[in-house]
Amino acid sequence: MTDDGNRMIDEGAPVIPGEPEGFAGGVLEPYEVFRQEKDGDPMRHGGNLLAPDLELALHYAREMYSRRGESVRLWVVRRADIGVLDDLDLLQPPLDRSFKKPGGYVMRDKLAAARGRAGTSKPGARAASHGTSPRPTEPGSER
Amino acid sequence: MTDPLALDPVLPPRERSELRARAWNEDLPHDERYEHFEAHVRGGGKIEPHDWMPDEYRTAVLRFVEMHANSELMGVLPEREWIMRAPTLRRKLALTSKVQDEVGHAQLLYRVAEDLGKPREAMFDDLLAGKTKFHNVFHYPTRTWADIGVIAWLVDAAAIVAQQALRDSSYGPYARTMQKICWEESVHIMHGRDVVVTLANGTTTQREMLQEALDRWWGPLMQMHGPRSDRSKDRDLHWRIKAKTSEELRQEFLTIYVPRILELGLTLPDPELAFDKEAGEWRYADPDWNELRTVVTNHGPKSHERLEFRRLNREATAWVRAAILAEPRAAA
Amino acid sequence: MTVVRFAPSTSTALAELLLSMADDEFVIGFSDSEWTGIAPILEEDVAMSSIAQDELGHAKALYELLASVHNDGRDADALAYDREPEAYRHARLLDHRRGDWALAIARRFLYDTADAARLASIGDGWPPLGELIAKIRREERYHVMHALAWADRLARAGGEARERFVAALEALAPDAPTVLATPEGEAALLEAGILTRPMSAAFEGWRTEVAGILVPLGITLRLEAPADAAAARTGHSDDFRWLWGEFTSVRRSDPGATW
Repeated sequence: MTDDGNRMIDEGAPVIPGEPEGFAGGVLEPYEVFRQEKDGDPMRHGGNLLAPDLELALHYAREMYSRRGESVRLWVVRRADIGVLDDLDLLQPPLDRSFKKPGGYVMRDKLAAARGRAGTSKPGARAASHGTSPRPTEPGSER
Repeated sequence: MTDPLALDPVLPPRERSELRARAWNEDLPHDERYEHFEAHVRGGGKIEPHDWMPDEYRTAVLRFVEMHANSELMGVLPEREWIMRAPTLRRKLALTSKVQDEVGHAQLLYRVAEDLGKPREAMFDDLLAGKTKFHNVFHYPTRTWADIGVIAWLVDAAAIVAQQALRDSSYGPYARTMQKICWEESVHIMHGRDVVVTLANGTTTQREMLQEALDRWWGPLMQMHGPRSDRSKDRDLHWRIKAKTSEELRQEFLTIYVPRILELGLTLPDPELAFDKEAGEWRYADPDWNELRTVVTNHGPKSHERLEFRRLNREATAWVRAAILAEPRAAA
Repeated sequence: MTVVRFAPSTSTALAELLLSMADDEFVIGFSDSEWTGIAPILEEDVAMSSIAQDELGHAKALYELLASVHNDGRDADALAYDREPEAYRHARLLDHRRGDWALAIARRFLYDTADAARLASIGDGWPPLGELIAKIRREERYHVMHALAWADRLARAGGEARERFVAALEALAPDAPTVLATPEGEAALLEAGILTRPMSAAFEGWRTEVAGILVPLGITLRLEAPADAAAARTGHSDDFRWLWGEFTSVRRSDPGATW
């Protein structure tokens, strides 16, 4: 039961044009529920529910998202209190940001040249031939 | 649970999300946004409630999810009648818990539909007025305790075959909801099969009760997924709201469950039912599609009574909702 | 198998106590499970059903303990189901039909608070019961929270909701104290440490607690000390006979069969 991680808050009550807004005086309000599946896990969006207030929302979150004991922690927040970044384009950098990621550093050829110049060989190969375990790899170290 | 985005290899996630972002661009003409939307969805991308979507897509998802929600809500009633009659403490607990889950599923699904723009009360109005529908199997009476076993095992099994194919629906909230629902439904099938196997091992009266229930439910079960349809003309398939045709679902159901039914020494009331090895599919007598049409248009044996029960219950509890509803908030 | 080493009179009193507690939880569990599928809000439906399932779980565990006391081959199901209506020992408070949501909440409120007072009166004199009660109290804590949340909302809502709630409380008030009726053989139970205080003390504590909750809401309820258990837990209503007819119908249809 995981979210896709892209978007923690996934609903924003869009209204079909012509649909009546509110009805019969009051409203049950949407509350969003976040749950931790086991100790140490991140809080993930579990889903949502309708409740008249936070106290009952907490009761209902316990029922809707943990009646089989599938959560060890719950957060409940009124949807109206959540801010949503609604311009997705702001999350798509148009220009190069490779310097921010390990994969942006490609140095395989440069390392080979450096070894050639220093007259050394690739450390991983030697370690393996001596029967010892290879060193932990740095992210992107041999690309 | 698998990351739903990881399930579809057609386009890398990055590219899909750019298509989605482009569909958001209000400066583009509608047709061009539509094209980006189509490419995103057809390529395995997900749509979230905030995303721009064509009205046709929104309406199609809403119609599909609303009927599913209605079915969970109405599906509560045939089994609920037997909560009070469950013959042991454990059966009583299991059946109450199962019916509770159906209510919970109705809640989850109505939430998905509500966030597409239709309030819960409006959906109840339409259900009770006969403007929206619910699944054929919930229009029939439950006559004996064996019905409880057959429903929990086979009706739920037929449903879960369909629901598993919805876990990768293009509409994100629906796909996630189906993941949660499928996880819970798997327990129901175990409960139902346990009831059925216990009856099969029981007294002559119990075995006869079981066979009679199976004979009665087989027709509705075969009709449940609907008539064969043309894949290329199905817009729900085109947009990946759902993944399989009705015939694919029925075949899958038969493949898994016919052997499990027969191994108990039960018989199925269809002399034509057989697996055609050459064609690689099940042959069966043509289900009574007339009956299906009659039943789902609320002319089934229990349609009227169940809708009327819901209507009266809704009236009888209206004062409670009025008493605890929050004051509408201007900013909400 | 739990071995019980009490004097016969203590064993008899223990069995009566277990039976009355188990029947209480069994019958209220049945009444509240009727709400499954028809409660006022979908979310609330799921909550109320969980509470009913908790109560049935408690009943099952208590019948299992009772089966070990009787040790005559009858299991929890036989004890729960295979009796005539006259042989049930639940409190009269639970003899009322399901009723509307106000009655359901009023009954839950009165029962949950009274049950909490009873559970707080049970000691470790018979360890299997003491251990079970510790678990049951962990779940009952939530039931009390739920009942209080609703009692508060219905009382404060005014209008029809308050009227219905107050009427339901008043209808149940004469029967509510029966949950805390003095059990048969109480002296033996106190001596064995199975009870740590007389039920009359539990009743006084409960009456004070209920007043402490209802008076601030502007509700005064007359709660009279109950008659003894023989009167408080026998002579059940037609509503209960209907319930009994329902919950035994499948079992009676093929006696001796396995379900």
